[in-house]
Amino acid sequence: MTQTTALPAGGAARPAGREAPRRSRTVRRGWQAWLFAGPSLAIILVFIAFPIVQSFWFSLHDWKIGATEQKWLGLANYERLFGDPLFWNAFRVTLVFAVVSVVLQLVLGYAAASALQREGLLTRMVRSVFFFPTIVALATIGLVWRFLLDPSIGLVAGITTSFGLPAIGWLQDPALALPTVIFVSVWKNVGFTMVILLAGLKGVPAHLYEAARLDGARGLQLTRYVTLPSIRPTLLFTTMILTINSFQVFDLVYVMTKGGPLFSTDTLVTMMFREGFENFDFGYASAIAWVLFAVIMVLSAIQLRVFRYDDVD
Amino acid sequence: MTTSTESSGAAIIRDARAGGPARGPARTTRRMRRPGAVARRTIAWILLAIGAVVAIVPFVWMVSGSFRTEADLYSAPASLFPGEWTLGGYLRIWSELPFLRVVANSFIFAGVTTLLCLLFDSLCAYALARLEFRGRRLAFWLVIATLMVPSQVTLIPVFVELFHFGWLNTYQGLIIPRATSAFGIFMLRQFFLSIPRELDEAARIDGAGHLRIYAQVILPLAKPALATLAVLHFMNLWNDLLWPLAMTSTTEMRTLPAALTLFGGQHVNDHAVLLAGATISLLPLALAFFLAQRYFVQGVAQTGLK
Amino acid sequence: MRKITTAAAAGIIAAVALSGCSATAPESDGPVELTMLAGFTGGDRAAYEGLVDTFNTTHDDIHVTLEIQPWDSIAQTLPAAWATGQGPDIAAPNFDPNVVANYLETNSLLALDNLGSGDGQIDADVLFPAAVDAFTVDGSLYAVPANVATLQLYYNKALFEAAGIAEPPATVEEFQQDAVKLTADGVYGLSLAERETIQMWPILQWLEGGDIVDATSCSVLDTPEGIESLTVWTDLVKQGIAPVGLTGAESDSLFSAGQAAMQLNGPWAAAGYKDAGIDLGVAPVPTGVDGDVTLGSTVPLAASAKTAHPAEAKEFLAWWTGKEAQKQFALASGFPPVRTDLADDPELSADPVVAAFAAALPSARLYLPGVPEATKVDSEGYVPLIGEITRGADVASAAAKASATINGLTGCK
Repeated sequence: MTQTTALPAGGAARPAGREAPRRSRTVRRGWQAWLFAGPSLAIILVFIAFPIVQSFWFSLHDWKIGATEQKWLGLANYERLFGDPLFWNAFRVTLVFAVVSVVLQLVLGYAAASALQREGLLTRMVRSVFFFPTIVALATIGLVWRFLLDPSIGLVAGITTSFGLPAIGWLQDPALALPTVIFVSVWKNVGFTMVILLAGLKGVPAHLYEAARLDGARGLQLTRYVTLPSIRPTLLFTTMILTINSFQVFDLVYVMTKGGPLFSTDTLVTMMFREGFENFDFGYASAIAWVLFAVIMVLSAIQLRVFRYDDVD
Repeated sequence: MTTSTESSGAAIIRDARAGGPARGPARTTRRMRRPGAVARRTIAWILLAIGAVVAIVPFVWMVSGSFRTEADLYSAPASLFPGEWTLGGYLRIWSELPFLRVVANSFIFAGVTTLLCLLFDSLCAYALARLEFRGRRLAFWLVIATLMVPSQVTLIPVFVELFHFGWLNTYQGLIIPRATSAFGIFMLRQFFLSIPRELDEAARIDGAGHLRIYAQVILPLAKPALATLAVLHFMNLWNDLLWPLAMTSTTEMRTLPAALTLFGGQHVNDHAVLLAGATISLLPLALAFFLAQRYFVQGVAQTGLK
Repeated sequence: MRKITTAAAAGIIAAVALSGCSATAPESDGPVELTMLAGFTGGDRAAYEGLVDTFNTTHDDIHVTLEIQPWDSIAQTLPAAWATGQGPDIAAPNFDPNVVANYLETNSLLALDNLGSGDGQIDADVLFPAAVDAFTVDGSLYAVPANVATLQLYYNKALFEAAGIAEPPATVEEFQQDAVKLTADGVYGLSLAERETIQMWPILQWLEGGDIVDATSCSVLDTPEGIESLTVWTDLVKQGIAPVGLTGAESDSLFSAGQAAMQLNGPWAAAGYKDAGIDLGVAPVPTGVDGDVTLGSTVPLAASAKTAHPAEAKEFLAWWTGKEAQKQFALASGFPPVRTDLADDPELSADPVVAAFAAALPSARLYLPGVPEATKVDSEGYVPLIGEITRGADVASAAAKASATINGLTGCK
């Protein structure tokens, strides 16, 4: 049993009798590290971290881009935000979007990866088919799906009416718009998830399965006791990235519905965009960004805790 | 959690010595076929087929739409095949855009930035994975934290910064701020952590310093992950619309996505050209994905593994 | 690799050149270079490009380069660009005329003081009055109309024939009756859009004597006239004459596919519908209870307050609104000219599309003209209202709610 718990995905068991290798203590070469990490950290600090801090500064003002003087508001933007029903609506929409799409992507991505594990021409082709949606530019995806889902002239409408169902306004009905957008998002990203999970699966060594079978495990038990624990680190990485991305969803929603109808697909970043670039209220938009940042931070910390994942080596 | 030692890298080496990569559960299934297994496999393939159809139908519509006249498109909008074929969409792109120029710009932007990303990300990941230094944890969290803020909100501060540097509408302004990526650093760090330290040790005994270990031990083993990252970065940069538009102001610097927006907008009266543009834009990425597929499977295997 | 180094070298040279140029106004022998930015993508583009080309050929001393980008991108990049003294000399910042107020808040717009009827002067008196009003703040003109558009009634002649209707409707009653008659068999009588569009619902309200806001920017949606004007049409929509919840593009597609018999739309749509094979007719908007009315919209064209060449920029804007330019533009695009003194021009009258849309100018009203926070009034007040009532909400209470929202935004007491 030590084998399964002690292994990261893709690591094979060390044959019994061989000791764990000595941890090599790297001599503290502080300055060398800064040389290696320097370029990246410099770019990140200058072009990403500093602007992020600046945006916090913006959120404390009634920020008008280009004004010579900015009106100080303190935390007023945040107060207004927490009292704004549109904010809570956007929060709810984003939460639903994130939870559903991450779960669906993990499940479907895992299912596809698991089913397409074997190497072969057919599996490679099907994998490519699943990965295709990830490559296409978003603006086109919006256009194409809008056509396909049109309640009067779309392909989907044609199919549903041939089954005798009435024409359904997938993107027009406030109750259906969010599920539809989630569907398109999953459609677009499941290939990406599949590829990452596939690689994780490929790293699970065969003899673990054999050992488990010898113990009498079958089918789903194998998945539960061998596969999933072995790919836990991959699962963590994937879940974190998917969560972070889905909380920030914007482009897809923007090209499909711009947050409508009736704000039923208004996510936090869609609202942020509208406040910042259509209503010219950039301080308020920055406040939204920072609340989002805090939420994602908390969620990521929780995920790391739940997956019992310690970064420190 | 365990501080892992033996890991995928060593596993591959060991397996290679043993004569073949470890396989998944599929192998043993064949030996112990049960009737339920066949039924389950069939259902699995049916579901996969449905999934594949759902994945591919929008494409088929898109590509076929790029060959249809407006009248044909609206006479049968749900049809997947052109009734009336036309090359008009593709011809318009060729004639109305400085096509070679914008494609070249896209390649330069996406290509150079990807290369720089690979370099800087791997260097930083090496530091985070292999070197102990004060502030390492902070640096790692800094990197992760930057993933959590939407890019729209940093657009304007960065624009103002580039303005102050005098880098607007320049190649360096376009490329350098994007020359590293938190996602890449995170991913490569995971990968490097899984490469056994014995290999480092062996090289160190031979007198190698960190730079040589990085270049001659880590990087070669990381080729799969690097290839994966390269394709993902290239794809994102190639499709990036807003960043090049925001940081450049002349047509000479336009990239392909920006050029294609000329045909879009609120009042579209020629869908063929839009869809043709999308199809053309897709081709280099599809090619890159096909070429790199073998690296994907092998390579991403090593990420997120600690 | 060579390509990359060459490109990088080119980039560095360009950077050096550009950074050198930004500080001083070049004392050049060549023409003054102006850059112009606008969001006229798609079918509109050619007419604007043609106009800029004509300007360049007729003016040796000024050369204008037109950049087209999507409106969303302009919205994200222009404010910061103009604030830092970067960006184009001239731009159409948004298709919504109400953004002028936002750019004025940051003093980004050049005051156009070259007014008059002479050469190189903007003859504000003959320009579309609603546009001039919209762009004049505190007595100064800050933008000229890049275009002026009116909405007319597009109709599908084939569908009309099939339903046995000989003529397009002339009054609002006929309009409503025809819409009902034409709705059959998967075809809608009227293609309506509720969002992401040049608004159609204000016209429907005006036809029935209602309105959105009054002259003091207070909401009149919850007045008896307002509620009545909304209810009449909502009831018809519930009967099925029009689709619910469509965006502008979807509404256009519906008409293009021959699945709707009528639509209120602007001159930009004509070419597309003809390409799509529709047997197209254009008629004036039917006369409402208060007379002729339609919606007009105008796109502002302004100069940066920090442009290095204010004189030349103003000259360009003046030329843009001049007789020759407007005539060329109208004939090329089907839009009416922005000037009201070209009504008798024979060429323009002969062009059916131009004539039809120009004829509507005198009765055209802007959407939320001069209303504070107009973008929010639209996105948080009016659009949700239409969305709710067409989906079954009670008109009176929805109108009351929308009024409260709107008054809160505009500061009406």
